[in-house]
Amino acid sequence: MKTMKTPFKQMLAAVPADIQQEVDLEYAISNRINDLMVQRGLTKLEFAQALGKRPSEVTKWLSGQHNFTIRTLSAISAFFGESLVRVC
Amino acid sequence: MSEAELVLVEEAKNCTLYTIQFLSEDDTEFEQFFNKFKDDVEFSPDLMRIVVFLGKIADFGALERYFRPEGKMSDRVVALPTVQSKLRLYCLRLSDKILILGNGGVKNTKTYEESKELSGYVLTLQNFDRLIKEGVKDGTIMVSENKIETDKTFDL
Repeated sequence: MKTMKTPFKQMLAAVPADIQQEVDLEYAISNRINDLMVQRGLTKLEFAQALGKRPSEVTKWLSGQHNFTIRTLSAISAFFGESLVRVC
Repeated sequence: MSEAELVLVEEAKNCTLYTIQFLSEDDTEFEQFFNKFKDDVEFSPDLMRIVVFLGKIADFGALERYFRPEGKMSDRVVALPTVQSKLRLYCLRLSDKILILGNGGVKNTKTYEESKELSGYVLTLQNFDRLIKEGVKDGTIMVSENKIETDKTFDL
């Protein structure tokens, strides 16, 4: 099978550092929320209801591509009793 | 009808990315999508986000929650991104470990069906999905946990 003539790594290398950082953070936060939901045995509906949100909002959080606000991060952290982001 | 073949994009630990190459075209479907928006002032940042995210998918898997379902219930067409952006990349998600990248564009209509351009990209993937299912059935395509093995050309 042929390989694409533009190497994928070359496409990745063209990405500005700030966008790389942004996606890294969004992806990591989303996976952390998913892990915490699994640990607590929470369904999307239960989690949404507990935070007074619609399930579609939780779907966005879990997509790995959501641009979280500090307010949302704080609400989720308070709910789980664990911080999602650590500032050094 | 045009002949097309499957092309490898990236092989990583948790997912293999493929795309489609029409034999009449110089670039694959995904390269066409990339080249269309890489220098676009408005959409280049969204394109770059999609590219980085595809890197994450290659490394950690094409989990269902990362995609926007598109197409019909009977096919495996999905789109990126899931968040606020008018840019759409259409893909075929065969499993957590196999993703086929298609082409995409700017969605200025409420549904992709209302756009001739976007519905064309989705239709290509729907047809490709059908041909893969047929190929697996007749033994001309082998789909393992994270790989598709075929030298077949597809009439799309």
